Amino acid sequence: MLRAMSGDAVTRPILVLLLLTAVTPGICRAQRPPDYDQVVVQQNRIDARDLGYPPVDVIPNDDSAITSLTVAPDGKLYGATSGKQSYLFVLNPRHGYVQPLGFVNNTTTVSHSLAASSNGDLYVGTAPSGHLLKYIPHNEDNQPIRIKEPCPLIDLGVPVKGESISALAVDREANVIYGLTSPNAHFFKYDIAAGTFTTAGVVAETVPEGEKSEKQKVFSRMLVLDAAGNVYASGENGFLYKFSKQKQTLEKLPVQAPSIPGREPWTLVDSFAADNAGSIYGGTSDGYLFRFDPEKLTVQNLGKPLLAYEITGLALSPDGTIYGVGGDDRGMARMFSYDPQVGSYQLLGFVDVNRRPYYSWQAYVVKAMTNGLDGTIYIGESERISKLYLFFPVVKNSTNNPGKK
Amino acid sequence: MSFALIAGERRVTVDFRVFPGLAEMDGNWAALTVAHDGKVFAGLACHGCDGHLVMYDPKADQVTDLGNLTVLTGESNLHVGNQSKIHAKFGEGKDGRIYFATHAGWWFNYARVGTSEGYPGAHWMAFDPTTGKVQDFGTGPRYEGINTGAYDPKFNRIYGLTHPRGHFVYYDVAAGKTVDKGRINNWESICRTLGIDDDGNVYGNFGAGEIYKYDPRTDEITELPLHIPIRAKGISLGRDYFKSETHWRTVVWDQQERKFYGVDESASLLFSYDPHAGTNGEVKQLGQLCVEGMEDRRDIPYATLALALGRDRKLYYAAPQEEFDYGGSAGVGVSHLLTYDLANGKKQDLGEMHLADGRRVIGLNSADTGPDGTIYFVGAIEVRDEQSGNAESAGKIGGVPYRLALVIYHPQRHEP
Repeated sequence: MLRAMSGDAVTRPILVLLLLTAVTPGICRAQRPPDYDQVVVQQNRIDARDLGYPPVDVIPNDDSAITSLTVAPDGKLYGATSGKQSYLFVLNPRHGYVQPLGFVNNTTTVSHSLAASSNGDLYVGTAPSGHLLKYIPHNEDNQPIRIKEPCPLIDLGVPVKGESISALAVDREANVIYGLTSPNAHFFKYDIAAGTFTTAGVVAETVPEGEKSEKQKVFSRMLVLDAAGNVYASGENGFLYKFSKQKQTLEKLPVQAPSIPGREPWTLVDSFAADNAGSIYGGTSDGYLFRFDPEKLTVQNLGKPLLAYEITGLALSPDGTIYGVGGDDRGMARMFSYDPQVGSYQLLGFVDVNRRPYYSWQAYVVKAMTNGLDGTIYIGESERISKLYLFFPVVKNSTNNPGKK
Repeated sequence: MSFALIAGERRVTVDFRVFPGLAEMDGNWAALTVAHDGKVFAGLACHGCDGHLVMYDPKADQVTDLGNLTVLTGESNLHVGNQSKIHAKFGEGKDGRIYFATHAGWWFNYARVGTSEGYPGAHWMAFDPTTGKVQDFGTGPRYEGINTGAYDPKFNRIYGLTHPRGHFVYYDVAAGKTVDKGRINNWESICRTLGIDDDGNVYGNFGAGEIYKYDPRTDEITELPLHIPIRAKGISLGRDYFKSETHWRTVVWDQQERKFYGVDESASLLFSYDPHAGTNGEVKQLGQLCVEGMEDRRDIPYATLALALGRDRKLYYAAPQEEFDYGGSAGVGVSHLLTYDLANGKKQDLGEMHLADGRRVIGLNSADTGPDGTIYFVGAIEVRDEQSGNAESAGKIGGVPYRLALVIYHPQRHEP
């Protein structure tokens, strides 16, 4: 047998291939089987980016969990990572690649805490130190990649002493940054022109009564603005809170984020997105999508798109369709979309890119999502090894514009 | 047992023991160890059903079923995903216990991952030979199995890589706690062997053959600027698309030279990795450990996990003749027994492995060495009794019925 093999070396590989194909068509495939493609996002609508220029100039594993994404007025996507060390990066859609901007000193976490002001400056809220930092973009396409150097940042101070910053949002018209702090859920405001911080109270005062191991107050992971510039968060018992732009006060609203009755103390809003029609969409820790009308103060529970806890990301496409990602830290993230005009969901499957060199690379945990000015939806994987995903939605004819965070 | 050249074909006749009452068991991957007293422990997998832990006592020549894994974990009445496998290496502790972790079989096509009706998660466990009982330390990674693992007696820890999410985890036996160090691999390319050196450092592959090191003293993973030799990945020829081609398939630790010897997945490239050389260690390619005539061929079968270091300073490797993965095999072949002599670098293909009655050893996927130098494997042997109606098989490989068996090779009986 061995002699025959060596004597037939030229033809045997071809014969073997034909035999394998003929005998075991269901087992040995040279391509990914079609049934796999049924459970993942359609592959011509998704792509992935390494966080830099591999193999060397990338944000290191262990530090690459994407926990904040925001799009600046010029369309550039900014992201921040968490890990042993936080990093900032930018993606210029024209350029198409992730450019690391350096690490953020004394910072392990930047959670939903990036906001770009009207002039393009980027504001960064840090944890655990709780500083608000400013990054001034400057000709980044011609700057060297920064991996081992700190990102040049201006320290604007600490809004609440002893507290981390856990969420940021911006009112570009008013030139104001809003934020939440952790662990004590303070709401603060930073006036960009004046350079001053103001606090307006808390959205959660007590830890839910329950197991003694629970020590965290429960409040939203994000902030969102309505068209009038009012700011919203979820707080204790899932109630929505509003910071009134006109009154400059924080008030508890008489509406709650949807939850299974009895689970209100542990309910929070993981993700927010606002459309230009005046609605605010939220995804909850129980995995419900809801629509909040800030004028009428009504909450509509739009149901639960996935058999999973948490909706960790929401973004709007140019035609008003809402895209989301659900699944908690122990599961496998899946995408869905919600069409407000029809009132129905589409389940899009796992976040998976089967493009060389990725080979069925899946994002199991997603913590950040936002929409670009061109309609691209950016999805931030949040694991020890993470990538940025670009999702290209099918856009129906519509005059609607993407909403804002 | 004999070692003979038959009509120009080299054959090696091997001894074997089947696992009585467990013909349904359909696979074994890596889960084999020989304890200091010569007892052999193996994990038998069953897709869609419960896996078993078995023991072979060579002195008594007796195979014992130590238990059904779903029963041992107390999950029989949960009606959730089975504890179908031990899918990784065992280890013997300083206390004489055999440590291991469990794994799932089917994953409900991933539809139930992360749900209460799916697979509940791997259990950390130990078999105590003095009591004959298995201790369950509880669930480790929630909803995930231990795809790859190793036990370190120095730090008394069971290490693992989870499936499907590729996290590096460990169970500290003394502290009774599970630690998750985060994702290290993608689901389709989870490194299949964790190597542990004599200092208790743990090594694995990530990316394109890159090596990482976990140091239990610092509790840190460091990605080293080292690669093992791998063949550039392209479209597989006749290979399961989801078989990783970027990592080592298996490594064994050589205490004498204080280095690892290993085989890569895709092209069976043999290499050594000395973790103590220089700052980060040193990798050397030593050749290709494959059936004669397969060298440098694009369609070389996927490497097996059946590599062991003999007491005679030879590496013993069961090389597949055809793409082998039990019921997922490309076709039926005969496993070859290969040796690589560490003293002189000489490779030998001893030929096809057959049983004394002529049946084929179709493929093997775990190996270890006994204290007397005996080499043990577990894998698939041919079943031929189908005409009498007495055939007990786990299924078919390329149309040939097979069942699992402990395959035994005594190098000392074949010395020239």
